[in-house]
Amino acid sequence: MDERVYDLIFICRPATPEEEVNKIVATLEHSAGEHGGKIEKTERWGTRRLAYRVSKHREGFFVYMVVRSTQGDLIKELERRLKVSDAVIKYQTIRLDEELKRQQKLARHRERRAGRRPRKTPAAPPQQQVPATAAE
Amino acid sequence: MPDQPVPPAPQEAPAPRAEGHSGGGGGHRSEGHSGGGGGDRPRREGGGPGGSGGPGGPRRGGKRQYFRKKKVCRFCVEHVDFIDYKKVEMLQPFVQERGKILPRRMTGTCSRHQRWLGEAIKRARNIALLPFATEL
Repeated sequence: MDERVYDLIFICRPATPEEEVNKIVATLEHSAGEHGGKIEKTERWGTRRLAYRVSKHREGFFVYMVVRSTQGDLIKELERRLKVSDAVIKYQTIRLDEELKRQQKLARHRERRAGRRPRKTPAAPPQQQVPATAAE
Repeated sequence: MPDQPVPPAPQEAPAPRAEGHSGGGGGHRSEGHSGGGGGDRPRREGGGPGGSGGPGGPRRGGKRQYFRKKKVCRFCVEHVDFIDYKKVEMLQPFVQERGKILPRRMTGTCSRHQRWLGEAIKRARNIALLPFATEL
């Protein structure tokens, strides 16, 4: 299976002590390693206002992660852990690799088009328009 | 009504509210002129047949050109290939105060970007970055 990229966000209760959050992050990292994936990036957004009440909280501590994995089981495991931990009130995992791929494709297309437009002859190979424009 | 070339018909007042009436050529007198029509008409008569008015100046023969601001997809202009659900401040202009997603005809977003936008807004809602509906 191809490698997949996921966005994982979870929200802790605002009163959660810092070390509790660290512990959750550590366990997630650990189980990611066990399942042959890895957590590429972890961002703590800090306490933010929630757009609506979640288990009677109006604020929450957001943690954002980027997960890479070749096995879908990892996501199952991560979500199970988040569900089990008391401090977490909400989480969301989104598979992003296809959209990122699409984004790269579109960017590539546009680049190619932009490179081709000034010169009408299809002399330059369409794959690398950067050297073509430099040669002009 | 579209046949009469009488003065009141060629009012192409640059309506401040650029709404997408695609009605076009016909004398849709009732549209877009609810308020401003009266104020613009005297100016037109003073301008004479030369049409010194706005960009869509009056033409001879009753053929009206409606001037309305062309709405362009904001994402196309900026070449956005991926709408990130995490950037709330980017999504906010496309959501009503109550949390509704604004329709394309209001914002001018192209269909592809509207589709991506809708998805991004729904993702953001799911993780409490945007409201489903404001509760009061």
